[in-house]
Amino acid sequence: MLIAVAMALFALGLLGVIVRRNMLVMLMCMELMLNGVNLSLVTFAQQTASAAGAVLVLLVFVVATAEIAIAIPIVLLLVRRKHVMDLGAYADLKG
Amino acid sequence: MIEALLLYLFAASALVAAALMLVLQHPMRVALALVAVMLSLAGVYALLGVHVIAVFQVLIYVGAVMVFIVYAIMLLDVRELSVRRFSAWLVPGIAGLLVFLAIVAHGIWHDLPEPSAAAAGTRFNLNEFSRAFLSEYWLHFELTSVLLVAAIVAALAVLRVGRRPHG
Amino acid sequence: MSHAQSLMVALPLAGFLLNGLGGNVLGKRFVSFVGCGLPIIAFGVALQCLADLTAREGTPLVETAYAWTIIGGRSFEIAFYFDRLTAVMALIVTGVGSLIHIYSMGYMKDDASYARYFAYLNLFLFFMLMLVLGKSLLVLFVGWEGVGLASYLLIGFWFEDADKARAGKKAFITNRIGDAGFLLGMFVLFEAFGTLDMDVINGAFLGGPISAVSASLVGILLFIGATGKSAQIPLHVWLPDAMAGPTPVSALIHAATMVTAGVYLVARMSGIYLHAAEASAIVAAIGATTALFAATIAIVQTDIKKVLAYSTISQLGFMFVALGVGAYGVAIFHLYTHAFFKACLFLGAGSVIHALGGEQDIRKMGGLARKIPVTFATFAVATAAIAGLPPLAGFFSKDEILWFAFASSRGGSPLLYGVAAGTALLTSFYMFRLLWLTFFGASRMTPEAARHVHESPMPMTGVLVVLAVLSAIGGFLPVPHYLEPLLPLPPVPPELQHVETTLVFVSVALALAGLVGVVLVYGGTGERAARLGRNFPLLHRVLFGKYFVDEAYDRLITRPLYWISDRVFLRLGDQRILDGSLNGLAALGQRGAALLSRIQTGSLHLYALLVVVGIVASLAWSWRHG
Repeated sequence: MLIAVAMALFALGLLGVIVRRNMLVMLMCMELMLNGVNLSLVTFAQQTASAAGAVLVLLVFVVATAEIAIAIPIVLLLVRRKHVMDLGAYADLKG
Repeated sequence: MIEALLLYLFAASALVAAALMLVLQHPMRVALALVAVMLSLAGVYALLGVHVIAVFQVLIYVGAVMVFIVYAIMLLDVRELSVRRFSAWLVPGIAGLLVFLAIVAHGIWHDLPEPSAAAAGTRFNLNEFSRAFLSEYWLHFELTSVLLVAAIVAALAVLRVGRRPHG
Repeated sequence: MSHAQSLMVALPLAGFLLNGLGGNVLGKRFVSFVGCGLPIIAFGVALQCLADLTAREGTPLVETAYAWTIIGGRSFEIAFYFDRLTAVMALIVTGVGSLIHIYSMGYMKDDASYARYFAYLNLFLFFMLMLVLGKSLLVLFVGWEGVGLASYLLIGFWFEDADKARAGKKAFITNRIGDAGFLLGMFVLFEAFGTLDMDVINGAFLGGPISAVSASLVGILLFIGATGKSAQIPLHVWLPDAMAGPTPVSALIHAATMVTAGVYLVARMSGIYLHAAEASAIVAAIGATTALFAATIAIVQTDIKKVLAYSTISQLGFMFVALGVGAYGVAIFHLYTHAFFKACLFLGAGSVIHALGGEQDIRKMGGLARKIPVTFATFAVATAAIAGLPPLAGFFSKDEILWFAFASSRGGSPLLYGVAAGTALLTSFYMFRLLWLTFFGASRMTPEAARHVHESPMPMTGVLVVLAVLSAIGGFLPVPHYLEPLLPLPPVPPELQHVETTLVFVSVALALAGLVGVVLVYGGTGERAARLGRNFPLLHRVLFGKYFVDEAYDRLITRPLYWISDRVFLRLGDQRILDGSLNGLAALGQRGAALLSRIQTGSLHLYALLVVVGIVASLAWSWRHG
């Protein structure tokens, strides 16, 4: 059951990335994806009693933190340029 | 019994909050929904017996990451409430996700590992966890510290880049 | 083994290299000395070889100069072969060649490219000697091609003039068409005998026709090569245009030596032709037709050199008639006398042109007999020789040909004799016409030319005198008899033996008739000639236009070829197919890339969606095939 929940969280996160326009909201949906992954890891760790699952979860925490630490400033810099948070305005790498 | 009920409760709340995330318009509300997801998940972890992870979830994810995101949302004064919520790929996105779910479900359901009966009774042991970190997974530990250093340097660099046009 | 023949061949080659590489630097005297001296030495070597040959009573001198290659057990060598036939040819080539070199000293004295001229002339001599001295068809072919090359270089000597350059090109290309037949003949022979040595091939045919190879087929193929080189129908078109080159070149190459290479080839391969009745018949027929054809054209031409060019074609036709009826030695005899009087005629024409400062149109000459007496005298002697007046050289050789054309049991017939005799009459007529219009009568020269007229310098007149003397007495040398052990005369049916003396008188009568005819038509004011021209305008136009053969070739062959090259190969093949496919591939690449780059919209949403699609696809695939 929990596996299904994890899958659902991941899928919702992915859908959010595809669907939402606001950049910060997209970032948050990516966090949601990571959370879904974490849940599945913990579930497996608990079911098979392996320490690897928990360790990996901690590592995912670290990575997520580092990622956010960089992603938010990037978003800030981008917005400072164009003054718009809508992702549709950032199609400069077209073609 | 009550544990099972709580488990279902927390799981349901996580799902609902996640669904809300996709629908709400104001980014602040979306952030709050995400916080709700994370707290629910922390509850799930606690019920599953991995208290350490639950605590870390609240401390790191909610306490640091979400706070940072909330700061960012507040900084970027969002005035454009008339902006459309959804991108052009709404329908294809939903369709794609449904297919994705179907395929993953089909694949996973046949390959699920059997929960070992002996393991079901085992509780999470903090001692073993810490020992494993420093013996078997010491390399990963060190690498993550390197990653953190890299992240700090990168953040500083971004700061400089941000400063330069004004500096 | 002596190296006399190799020496003979190498001397002109040395002359070519010296004059070609250093001539401009070392000055005209050096060029003259080397350019004329080396051929004279070669003539001396040829005499020496003749002496050796006589001492051995005719067994050939064989010399291998260089083993070229060995392919699969068969060896190809550069080898030389000196027998009686070679002796005659080599002496003519070196002897008349040397005389013409000496003449050129005077004729080309004022030309800027003096060194280049002598270099090319020496080159020609080298190749011609290779041709006549070669032991195998391979060496002969090298010489054959080489003289073609030298001819091209010399015809287009004044290449700044586009017409002259074009004439050179025409000669070379027409030759090459004939060479295709020659090559095919060589291939057939090699296939059958495994060697190209001519004495071996002739020897193989000695016992009778061989079943492995059709003698007639080879005979016809080799003859095709001969028509190209010796200007017979249908490849005769290059010779009149070749008059664009300097006159000594016309004398040497297109009268005395190169054009006779075809005759030499057939005579040399007589072993094959003795057993190829159909091929011999074709040779005789084409020879006779060409002779008559060219003679009819010659009677209306107005350029002095063109008359002589058509005369050469006609005389070569005579030689082929002789070859066709099996009288190979007689053909060589006529070749030998023809070399003397034709060279004398051409050089005399050169002297006239030189005297008049470049005028070549006989309608603008006349009355030159008193003014340039030496030229006139030598020209007259040579004209009488070619017409066949006894006891000059031409009488003996032409009479023999006419006799065998009538009486040979290998193809002689009254019809053949009739055509040949008619041609002889026309020959006498047009040659005396030429003599008359150039030297006799009232002067029709332009005033500048009249003032310019002077006798030619010593090198030129000296050579003319020598050649005229040779034209006079050359007939007394019994060449056919000398060649008999090698080239037997054809048998004559006994009932015709008594006709011989009658035919001799007929020949003399024909020659005199030509002379009388000219006096009648052109004598006095030349009024009768003009009236004849007016009465037969169509005939005159056809003859003057050389039966429009060149125009026919142009319409039937050249223009369709141009059209094919342009439309099919250039536009369709090269531009549309080759370039088009290459450009098309490039365009395809470009358009494909343009199409694919539509994916990069810059929208992250799309990229994320594509990631999902990719994951779905790979998962599906791995789970289906996993």
